Order: sequence, then structure tokens, then C-alpha cells
Amino acid sequence: MEGCPRNRETCPKLLDLIPQERKWYHDEGKNNTDQEKKLELRLAPPGGDEEDGSVMKKKNTKKEAEDKTIFNLSGNHFSPSNKTNYAPHHISQKRTAPGPVVGWPPVRSFRKNLASSSSSKLGNDQINKSGDGEKQAEPKREGMFVKINMDSVPIGRKVDLSAYGSYEQLSFAVDKLFRGLLAAQRDASGGEGEGKPIIGLLDGKGEFTLTYEDNEGDKMLVGDVPWQMFVSSVKRLRVIKSSEISSALRFGCSKEDKMRN
Amino acid sequence: MSEDDEDQSPATDLRSRNKSRNCISSSSSQTFPDHVLENVLENVLQFLDSRCDRNAASLVCKLWWKVEGLTRSEVFIGNCYALSPARLTQRFKRVRSLLLKGKPRFADFNLMPADWGANFAPWVSTMAKAYPWLEKVDLKRMFVTDDDLALLAESFPGFKELILVCCEGFGTSGIAVVANKCRKLKVLDLIESDVTDDEVDWVSCFPEDVTCLESLAFDCVEAPINFKALEGLVGRSPLLRKLRLNRFVSLEEVHRLLLLGAPQLTSLGTGSFSRGDQSQQEPPDYVAAFRACKSVVCLSGFRELMPEYLPAILPVCANLTSLNFSYANISPDMFKPIIHNCHKLQIFWALDSICDEGLQAVAATCKELRELRIFPFDPREDTEGPVSELGLQAISEGCRKLESLLYFCQHMTNAALIAMSHNCPELTVFRLCIMGRLRPDHVTGKAMDEGFGAIVKNCKKLTRLAVSGLLTDQAFRYMGEYGKLIRTLSVAFAGDSDMALRHVLEGCPRLQKLEIRDSPFGDVALRSGMHRYYNMRFVWMSACRLTMGCCKDVARAMPNLVVEVIGSDDDDVNRDYVETLYMYRSLDGPRKDAPQFVTIL
Repeated sequence: MEGCPRNRETCPKLLDLIPQERKWYHDEGKNNTDQEKKLELRLAPPGGDEEDGSVMKKKNTKKEAEDKTIFNLSGNHFSPSNKTNYAPHHISQKRTAPGPVVGWPPVRSFRKNLASSSSSKLGNDQINKSGDGEKQAEPKREGMFVKINMDSVPIGRKVDLSAYGSYEQLSFAVDKLFRGLLAAQRDASGGEGEGKPIIGLLDGKGEFTLTYEDNEGDKMLVGDVPWQMFVSSVKRLRVIKSSEISSALRFGCSKEDKMRN
Repeated sequence: MSEDDEDQSPATDLRSRNKSRNCISSSSSQTFPDHVLENVLENVLQFLDSRCDRNAASLVCKLWWKVEGLTRSEVFIGNCYALSPARLTQRFKRVRSLLLKGKPRFADFNLMPADWGANFAPWVSTMAKAYPWLEKVDLKRMFVTDDDLALLAESFPGFKELILVCCEGFGTSGIAVVANKCRKLKVLDLIESDVTDDEVDWVSCFPEDVTCLESLAFDCVEAPINFKALEGLVGRSPLLRKLRLNRFVSLEEVHRLLLLGAPQLTSLGTGSFSRGDQSQQEPPDYVAAFRACKSVVCLSGFRELMPEYLPAILPVCANLTSLNFSYANISPDMFKPIIHNCHKLQIFWALDSICDEGLQAVAATCKELRELRIFPFDPREDTEGPVSELGLQAISEGCRKLESLLYFCQHMTNAALIAMSHNCPELTVFRLCIMGRLRPDHVTGKAMDEGFGAIVKNCKKLTRLAVSGLLTDQAFRYMGEYGKLIRTLSVAFAGDSDMALRHVLEGCPRLQKLEIRDSPFGDVALRSGMHRYYNMRFVWMSACRLTMGCCKDVARAMPNLVVEVIGSDDDDVNRDYVETLYMYRSLDGPRKDAPQFVTIL
């Protein structure tokens, strides 16, 4: 099932105040009197009544793209061992709806990933401008998403490393992700074709080189260690100009001997 | 009485086998007129196409029932569990075409665990023996395996049309078998289905000689294809009219295909619509390629659109009756010059990235619009919505012939819905999804009752309704009172109490399909509908307030109703709570293939 990573911990948020034990739901099950409704936790100023629309305004709780709320755990409804997730029922009782929920909005899974796929190139600045310009779409599975930035391109992206099995595939993906964006940066009129392919990311021969920052904070060239080792240690990626390799890596790196001319 | 299910014939007729056949051999004068009548009837009933008419004809008398059963060639089964395959083959002897639907729609949104059922296997194996002349199979939300497809390909030598909509369970290897063995194949349409990539080059599996292909749609197949083979296939398919490519076909490749067969094509799915091969600095003349598409009236694809190439489609815009941009993140500025030319457009699907501004452009140009679907580019609850009541208002004013609407937005007002209810009297399908749950009218702060009320009241032809936003019982009172023709109703996060559902179940005389999630409806409401569940195709209620006890009561009271409880925790503490209820009428009792998480009461 896409969209709802399982087994993620809840962020310590207001929502954690809502007890997750089944017992609470069970008591609520049949008699949801007005009194009980008033005692329910809400994200609204106190004293508002059921009907008034102004009370119903959902507060804009911050929702991470990774959906770390209890309501998302409702994705586990159908797994037998799960005993604590009756989250969606809270929705029908309360008048405010804090967290995201299984299957809502009712969009089929192949439509959900448009925001994170490489199709969102130059088409729409309006949408891309919201937030920090980086597409924070819901991951469709437990992927390994790392940020990737490219020199001279203000918009960063995210790549799901679990989708690739080799450096070549990653390199190809980087090309697809950034080619259009780079062309847009370079060509002010924005209409002059979609730019040259970004090649040679791994061998130092291209205009750009792919580097990464590992879990110890070191900046290194991509491609030197076995793929799986790379995947387990990478924290973020950066595409830099090949001419800047030495300065980029020197800054906070102890592995200068990896540099080539 | 429902019109559209073949299983609507009263039970008694189905059980009594007609004996007049046995009497023909004895040439007594009593049976002779029957025999003649039967032949006459057969010849006459052949011309009856509509299943409503056929259902009616079959009720006249036993003879008519029998002859109708012999002459029905196209069978529609709205719920695969409403009857067994054996009953189908016993009742209808000469079926050429089967349309079969499986899972309920909410399964698309992960509200139902995988492996719930709707297996095609028993159907194909039964039909393989009974209908060797079968020509067409159209499945929706069924679980189809590669083995099923192989069996299909082997059992029906004259097989012509395979249409799989929202199906899963098979892969490219199953498709390969169909391509290879079904020599008379005219239509292979894979639509919004989940096709696993078995790394089989299915395109190469089509036979070498000229094919009968008229329609090939594989835009949902998430696997690269052998383009050379596809080129060859298109080249030897002179009857090909509809071609929908997947995103692994680049613009250059589309260009080459258009060079081969553009003038015949009526429907084109353009694949990725982005450049695959960058080494050529000079892109081919896409505009000329599209100019050659003189017959194209339906355009889709744009799966990974490179917007700078979008203007290439301008030559076909004036002819388009159907345009699907719903995979392309197109800004208003990019969109307006295109839509400006689409005067004949009747069906338009797009992402909300075109914004209210884009919708205004649609309203200004597309006066013939019948169907509009706006999908969210970013389907989350708390984003800034690029479309709103402004776009809807514009559409209602500009597109008076609108019949079908699906609209995802973040904010809406009652006023816009009221306006639409007056401006668009032809509406038969109205599905509005305000993505923020329980959102009221964002201008007045009131519930969305009056807006939806106006829709049901003024749109007298409305047959399908999906509601959203903050709704009280009053909205449902309107639905029950005015929704005279509503057959399908979708409710989510709405209503205050059981009364809401009661209004609907006690009103809405034509209600067939009811799907409800996360709404405070409980046992009282469920019981209030018992007089009509036999006349409905199904009822789905998930995350409501039903108890096991009540569901059991319903199951006991209505023996021909299959009452499935899905995913309920069978721990003692919450034994009573029903997570998901899915119930439907069935002529053959509860199904035998229910998985463990389904309890049939």
C-alpha cells in the first residue's frame, strides 16, 4: 500500500495527546453524547459548538511529507499483529481532523506520485513555489529519500535510492532530474530546448561531478565504494562543477586523495 | 427493481429448467406452435441490445425467458460475487461478450487489503468450456493472473477484445501470451491497471503477419518496450485507430510512429512527451507530425511532459473532442494558448496546475464540454489549492452542457455549487472532493449543505453524487428528498447522526451503490435500509459506527445478502466493532474464496 509508511514513530506532537489504546475508542463506540464530544480533544478554541463553521476550521498542523502521525499508522489496519490503530474512527467523532488518513484524498496511487516524479519540470512555478520549492510529496513506499542539490540550480530535489541498484542508474536519474532545471537556469528565455545531457558524473570527465555527504559529515566523490555501502552511508547528494572538485571536497573532507585532475 | 444486472430475474425462474426443448422431439400438435414461436422469438430477440430491455423481456414467461437466454450475446455482471460462473453458463448459452466488475471502488484507495478476491480464474475456466466462441472480455477491478490470460488465449480461438480496467495480478508475460495466441485480436486495452514488469518483450510477441489490431492501449504499463517491435507492429496494423503509449516511449519515437500511421489514428496517447535521445541536436519536426494526424480526436499521454514541446499539438487542437492532460504539470501560461484552439472539446481531464485561470480559459472556449475532471497535482490536505470556487463558477457559466464533473480542490463555497446547479441542468455526475476533511464554505463558514442541496434539487438528471466538506444531516435530507435518480452515492467524513443515512435509505428510490467511509452512522441507520438492500448492488461502510450484532441481524434477516465484515479485530475487547462492512446480494450464497480477514456473517 502506498502512501503510508508503516512502523514509523509518531512525531511528538499535539496528536500524541490523543490516547491510542483501543479502550478509549471502545468507550466512545456507541454513545457519543454531546458531553463526550465536548470533552474530546480538538484543535479549536474552546467553547465553539458543533455547527459553527468557524470552529471547524482545521488548524494547519504541520504535516511532514513522511506522514508521521498516528492517523497514518491506520495503514496497518489490516495487519494482524497491529492492535493500536483505530485512528480513523476518531475522525468521525471529532469535528476537526488533524492527521492524514488512509485513502484520502481519494486519488489512485498512480496519480499520487506526480509531484515527486521527474515530470514536474518547468511546467508550473506556482506550485513549486509553495514551501521551500522542493517537492515534498508523500513517499510511495519506505524509500530511501535523500536530498540532492545541484550547483547553480536553486531548486533541490529528492531521490529515492532504494529505486536504483547501481551508480549508473543513479547517474541517469540525476540527469533526468536536473537537465531541464539546469537548462532553465542557463537560458534566461527558457525556451531554447531542454539542455545538454548531464553525463560523466562519475568519472570526472563531464562538466559536473556527483558528490555526497556521508553519515560522518564527510564529503566524498560518488562511485568509489560498493553500491550497497554507499547507500547505507549516504546522507545527501550534491552535483558540483567538476572544476570545483578540489575546493568543494577540501571543505570539511579528509579524503583528498580521492580527487583527480 | 434494478435494470442493469442480469441476475435480477426472480429466483424461481432461474431454478426451473425450461422443459420445452425436451418436448420438441415429440411432434404433438401442442408443442408445434411453441416450437415455431420459439424460432420467431429467437429471431426477434436477437435485435434487442439493451440489457434493460432484455431483462424485461425475460420476465414475460418461461418461453421468453429461455429464448432470451439463448439470444443474449453480451452479458453484464456488475458484481462478480452476485452469482457463480456456473449460473452464468447455465442461463446464457451463447455469450460472446462478458463485462465483469469485481472489487468495490474504495479498494482503489487502499481501504481494502490485497487478496480480497474478485478472481477472474473461476470465470475464465468455466467459460473456456461453455463459450468457445467468446470474443470479448471487459474486466474492471478484477484480479487476473498470467495463467488466466494464458487460458483465455488458448480457449477462445476467435477472441477479439480484451479490456482490463483497474485490474492487477498479471504482468507482461500474460500480455505476451494474449498477443501471441489471439490471432484475431482487435482490441487490447490496458487501462489504469497494475501490470508487473516480467521483463518480457510482449510487443514482439504479436504475430508476424498483418494484424487485426484496431486499438492498443498500454499507457499504464510501467515497463520499457521494444520500440523497434512496436514500429513494426504499427506498420503491419492497417486497421489501427487507437494507440496509447506508455511513458517509456519518447517524443522522437512517437514522431516515428506518426510518420507510419498518423492519418488513420483517431486516438493517440503520446507517451512521455519528452525527448529521449539527446544526441541529435536538431529535434524532428513534431509539428508536422501532428499536422498529419488529421483524424485524431482524442489526445492523452504527456506522462513526463517537456512543456516546451507542447505547442506541437496545436495542429490537432481544433479537432479534439477529448483531451487528457491529467499527468502533466502544466501552468496556466502554457495551457492557455493550447486550449484556446479546442473549440470542439467535450471531455477534458487535467491537473489543478492549470489553476482557476486555466479553467476560465476552458470556460471561455470549450462550449461543448460534457465531462470535466480536475485532479490534484499534490493530493494532500493542507496545500494551497490552485483551483477553487472561482474555477468552478467559471466553468458553470461557460460550459452549460456539462454532464459530468470530478473536481478536487481545497476550498469551495456554497454559492458556486448553487450557481452550477442552475447553470448546468444536464449534470448527471457530480463528484466534488474538497480535500480538507470537514471543511466548510470558506467564505461564509457554513456547512456545505446548501450547495449540495441545490445540486440534488436542481440537477434533475443526477445519477451519481460524491460529497465532501463539512456536511450536516440536512445535506442528507436534501439528498433523500430530491435525489430521485441517484444510483451511486459516495460519502466520506460527513453527517452528524444516523438520521443522515436514514434520509438517504428512506429516500433516493434508485439507489444502487452506496459507499460510505468515516461517518457517524450506526446500527439504527443500517437497519433502516433493510427494505431495500436486495435491490441494491452493494453497500460499503467503513470506519462508521456499526456493531457486529447489528450486522449479524441483517445477515440473518436477509439470507440472499452476503454480509462481509472485513478486517475486524477478533480480539475480545473489540469484538463488537465493525471496521468495514461490504454487503451485496447474491444468488449463489457466500463465496468460497474469502480470505481470512473477511468474515461472512
